[in-house]
Amino acid sequence: MTRTRVSRWLARTLTALAVSLLALGSQAAEIKVATIAPDGSVWMREMRAGAQRIKERSAGRVEIKFYPGGVMGNDAQVLRKIRIGQLQGGAFTTGGLSERYSALNLYGIPLLFRSLDEVDYVRARLDPKLIAGLERAGFVSFGFSEGGFANLMANEPVRSVEDLRRKKVWVPEGDDISFLAMETMGLSPVVLPPTDVLTGLQTGLLDVVGASPVVALVLQWHTKVKYRTELPVSYSMGIFALDARAFDRLSVEDQTIVREIMGEVMHNLDATSREDNRRAAEVMTKAGVQPVAVNPADVEDWRATLESMYPELHRRPDMDAELLDELLAILAEYRSLGRTTSTLGE
Amino acid sequence: MFPGRTARRLFGFTALLAAAAGVGGCANLIGSMAADTLSAAILNENDPELVASGVPAYLLLVDGLISRSPDNESLLAAGAQLFALYGSRFETDPDRIVTLTAKARDYGERSICIAYTPACTWQGLDYDDFVSQLAAIQKKNIDYLYSYAIGWLSYLQATSEDWSAVAELPWVEAALERALELDETYENGGLHAYLGILDSLRPPALGGKPDAAKAHFERALELSQGKDLSIKVEYARRYARMVFDQELHDRLLEEVLASPVEADGFTLFNVLAKREAEQLLASSKEYF
Repeated sequence: MTRTRVSRWLARTLTALAVSLLALGSQAAEIKVATIAPDGSVWMREMRAGAQRIKERSAGRVEIKFYPGGVMGNDAQVLRKIRIGQLQGGAFTTGGLSERYSALNLYGIPLLFRSLDEVDYVRARLDPKLIAGLERAGFVSFGFSEGGFANLMANEPVRSVEDLRRKKVWVPEGDDISFLAMETMGLSPVVLPPTDVLTGLQTGLLDVVGASPVVALVLQWHTKVKYRTELPVSYSMGIFALDARAFDRLSVEDQTIVREIMGEVMHNLDATSREDNRRAAEVMTKAGVQPVAVNPADVEDWRATLESMYPELHRRPDMDAELLDELLAILAEYRSLGRTTSTLGE
Repeated sequence: MFPGRTARRLFGFTALLAAAAGVGGCANLIGSMAADTLSAAILNENDPELVASGVPAYLLLVDGLISRSPDNESLLAAGAQLFALYGSRFETDPDRIVTLTAKARDYGERSICIAYTPACTWQGLDYDDFVSQLAAIQKKNIDYLYSYAIGWLSYLQATSEDWSAVAELPWVEAALERALELDETYENGGLHAYLGILDSLRPPALGGKPDAAKAHFERALELSQGKDLSIKVEYARRYARMVFDQELHDRLLEEVLASPVEADGFTLFNVLAKREAEQLLASSKEYF
């Protein structure tokens, strides 16, 4: 090998090395994500497994770092940290992210759905629109994961609206639509963050609370209530979403990897959640919380009262009127097919 | 989940074996001196693998003795703790862990029912009734209350994927809290260590009590006089990770690595604690 050839070879190698180092430096992206899910939970395990696959498939260019257990604060605080670039994403509840995209409030309208079959029918048609709308609002998400229906829980059985009168009924802090629903029904809502509910039940500040069986077990509310009304009150979901600004900085190839893998993770979480709630409800009964059925005629009255608030919902800034109409049309379509079961429970 | 300190009493079961052997008519099986020596030898062993391969023979022995003396509450209590410990610290096959800890729970329930008759009706009580029943149990029964809680807890840990484990945790926690009321120094702070772990399971955003967890761990350290390294490991793994305090996490684990492994009655678990401390430290940068 002559000197010239050696130096040419060396120059080429060094250039190649420099280019690849440069590429590495400019493309390695750390995405910081906050979630309320505690480390060690199924949710975190699936998310970490997904992140690991993304890291491998992207040859280390995309790394997702998690802040579990709510250490970055509640949904509103996480959103602020995303805005200033301290975080690039988070796992939210539908309500938590609705501040940035109001249509996420749609599925949570109380007594909107009569069954999970209705939910499936609507979600298959509307989820893609919500995901697209959320993306226009600056958040890239990868599908939703079911949180399930909230059930009413109390120390005395709740079978009708009458049973709720003169009771202190909990409304989650920030859930303005449930608050409006309570007022429409002439009830007296008490607004508290979820973390104060257990104490509220203990001290008599609250009589009636609503949550999915899974949430009730995790927050240990089953130790403070005696009855669970098997009526699907309002539907909630979890959303894993990334700041679009951060996502756009990834190469198209890496974006595809993240979309594909996180899409799978969310799909799996969505699929297992239903069984989780079914099992959690069963376990609550075993722990001494008795299931209570509602009188179907009462429920229809209840629904009719709530439907009277739809015109008001239409005018609200925290509601997407166009998508609300579309949702109601899809529901009407489903019901006209005559497939609605009379099942009021899960 | 199980701090090493539990083991001190646990392996003390060999002395019970001797007693039971007398009752059951096999006085020649193990003399009490041999039992004490054996127990100390195990706890002071610095080779966990040797212990892991040897203890199953003990389990069989305990099972055999219990089947001969099914009403011996002390033997049942020791059995509950031994199966809980082996199932949660040494066994690796998930199905066997469930089988072993289910036995721990069963022995614990039987033991307390014999020692304290009102406990026979505890199963299936709702939370408030259970807590008011617990208020009546007295200090003389603390050993049985403890074995009952530990057996149950080990089973919940083994089945933590199931929602019933999540549902039952507050009951176990209430039992441990009652034991703490009766004697907070019990097991050199072991009760505090367990409650520290339980209070760290849920972050504050999900109704957890990090301040209570921290106070329990600190008190457990005080009561164990720093000899039991597994408390620091749990403090780091459960509490420091939950509140995202890397400085505390790394400090606790470095202290574990810098501490002597030999401590009378703790050597075996200190060896395990050091291994875990190394692993946790290695993943610290990635986690925080």
